[in-house]
Amino acid sequence: MRLFKNGSIASEDSPEPKQGDVLVDENGIIQQVGETIKGVEGARTVDCNGCLLVPGMFDLNVHSREPGFEHKETLATCAEAAIHGGVTGLVLMPDTAPPVDSGNLVKSLQDLVSEVSPISIYVSGCLTKQRRGEELAGFSGMASQGAVMLTDADHEIPCPDLLRRCMEYAKDFDLLVTTHGDTPALTKVGAVNEGAVSYRLGLPGIPAISQEIALDRDMRVAQHTGARLHLQQISTANGVKSIASAKENGTNVTCEVSPYHLLLTEEDVEDYNTHFKLNPPLRRQSDCDALVQGLIDGTIDAIASNHAPHTEFEKSSDFASAPFGVSGLETTVLAIFDQFISRGVFGWDLFIRKYSADPRRIVKLEPVKIATGEKAQFFVFDPNATTTISRDYLKTKSPVSPFLGKTLKGEIRETVV
Amino acid sequence: MSELTPRKDLLDIASLSLEEIEYIFENAAPFKQLFQRSVKKVPTLRGKTVLNLFYEPSTRTSSSFEVAASRMSADVTNFTVSSSSVVKGESLLDTIETLQAMRSDYIVIRHKAAGVPGLVAKHTRASVVNAGDGYHAHPTQALLDSMTLREVYPDYEGRKVVIVGDILHSRVARSTATLFNKLGIEVGVLGPGSLVPEGRHDFMKRLDSWEDVFDWGPDAVYLLRVQLERQEGQFFPSIAEYHKMYGMHSERIERMRQLGAYLMHPGPVNRGVEITDEAMGYEKSLINTQVENGIAVRMAVLHWLKPETDKD
Repeated sequence: MRLFKNGSIASEDSPEPKQGDVLVDENGIIQQVGETIKGVEGARTVDCNGCLLVPGMFDLNVHSREPGFEHKETLATCAEAAIHGGVTGLVLMPDTAPPVDSGNLVKSLQDLVSEVSPISIYVSGCLTKQRRGEELAGFSGMASQGAVMLTDADHEIPCPDLLRRCMEYAKDFDLLVTTHGDTPALTKVGAVNEGAVSYRLGLPGIPAISQEIALDRDMRVAQHTGARLHLQQISTANGVKSIASAKENGTNVTCEVSPYHLLLTEEDVEDYNTHFKLNPPLRRQSDCDALVQGLIDGTIDAIASNHAPHTEFEKSSDFASAPFGVSGLETTVLAIFDQFISRGVFGWDLFIRKYSADPRRIVKLEPVKIATGEKAQFFVFDPNATTTISRDYLKTKSPVSPFLGKTLKGEIRETVV
Repeated sequence: MSELTPRKDLLDIASLSLEEIEYIFENAAPFKQLFQRSVKKVPTLRGKTVLNLFYEPSTRTSSSFEVAASRMSADVTNFTVSSSSVVKGESLLDTIETLQAMRSDYIVIRHKAAGVPGLVAKHTRASVVNAGDGYHAHPTQALLDSMTLREVYPDYEGRKVVIVGDILHSRVARSTATLFNKLGIEVGVLGPGSLVPEGRHDFMKRLDSWEDVFDWGPDAVYLLRVQLERQEGQFFPSIAEYHKMYGMHSERIERMRQLGAYLMHPGPVNRGVEITDEAMGYEKSLINTQVENGIAVRMAVLHWLKPETDKD
């Protein structure tokens, strides 16, 4: 038994964390939550003075790379990184090799997960076979094996008719359809946001309309079919506007934003730093501002890291050839605290709603609570300490992060799962 | 000649100070005078090696660097990698390791990907000269263009140059315009809307037509080469239409003559596209001077840069 003493408990319901002690038994069940729990016999006391106890986060957009790309990340290192970053549940993207496009593959991936992961890792399946955007994948098999969403990850379904069939059919299984918002004919070989920075660096640009047109289309089809749609990695101000208006019209749509798109801009790419090469690309400050506003006003439902590990070697190539994506599971809580919570832009309640409670609700799971009788899933956070994001600090196999070498406010002392 | 803190690499124009730019020009002039002599060689780089590493075919720039290096008595190795033989994803870092082992003192590099010269520079002790990287930069072109313009306009400040053509994909447009701007020369741009991006440098004033250009009264017209091989997307309907809208022909040459404007082009010229045969004979064409100044400027750059191999 462990007694977490003198901390404050954060939740989605209250802007101010409340003083409270938490007693967790040897089975990882919360035995008691109270203002002061006196010494319990046989319990090890963890002094949480000045610290917060925060419900475990839930990341809707994680690439574990296993099977197929274990040199980048494995399920085991992915789970380790998640725990290290305060994340106690996540959804895997199906863009592995082979892609997860059948009930059997969902099942075998879940078997792998249960062997190596102490946290709840959920599996998504492909919308189309092999993520090729040509024929429907086996929805019923994947649904019966427990896939929580269907997505072709960063491959857009090229044909609107096929997307329509996907949505109509997904509805039969009440499956969430998730898309990444990209128009390949506009994105082409683009590497950064199209604008002054792409011009200055002489890199091919990705225009904002590349994402905006795709999510407009996807929302139209969702509205028409009545399917549940989730949009990944929103990156532009106009995108936020479109989503707000679709929601007003009753479209069944949710969306997520990455911590990077909230707090970094195209200017951060500076001297061809591939640790800032993301898909969609980092945009302008006005886009960041609109995304933060959208998060606060409820247009944006969730934060998701898009944890996309690559080796440092793969990222050491020239900017245009380097792969898109960076790791994110271990830095999201710290970055959001450092940039927003510690500066009073928004509070823990909003952050917990957007990165713990609502992401679980989006895939029809119960939110995690720090309450008596619940399974313990929380982390101890010291707001007065700092954390330096070094290669040694990171547990992921991919020490590729825009925050590498930076010192962020706050420290995740321990994650209880 | 004034002395200046030496640099290891020349990667772009943006990072050069006016002092450094002046230093290069001050050095280029005596090198150019050397070309009039029967013995065109100086011993400045005797015992040094220059590696010409071209990942994109280029006869002109490559030869220009080769001539520049030889005239300074350096040993030159030409290394042309045909882009088709470079498998995508082949590690640039491995190539750099190999280069490092060759112990060159100077690496002149052209690559289709923006930023590669900078990446090479970080990992080698040799001085790296960017000879063109993607759409990004072509600093020695900018230097030779400016040297050429300054020769005909010693009072270059406040002069106007219009750059015509593919402003979107041209590293020449980026570097040359940036240097003109640094020197206080006004820069106008003319080209199809599909090739004059919104994100271009703020100082690039968009002109809508040749009428507009002549009204503006440029002191020089700089025609960019149309990349006939670069048609991954269609940016204008046809070469004929391009020529009609943006090409230089006798009528426009007549307007140039009235203005007393000079004509520039980075070469090689697509005759009948950017310029007609008749227009090529324009008495105020600086195209050949550009080539000659290219060698002088590249000599000045090699003279100026200080490789870390010097410390060995």
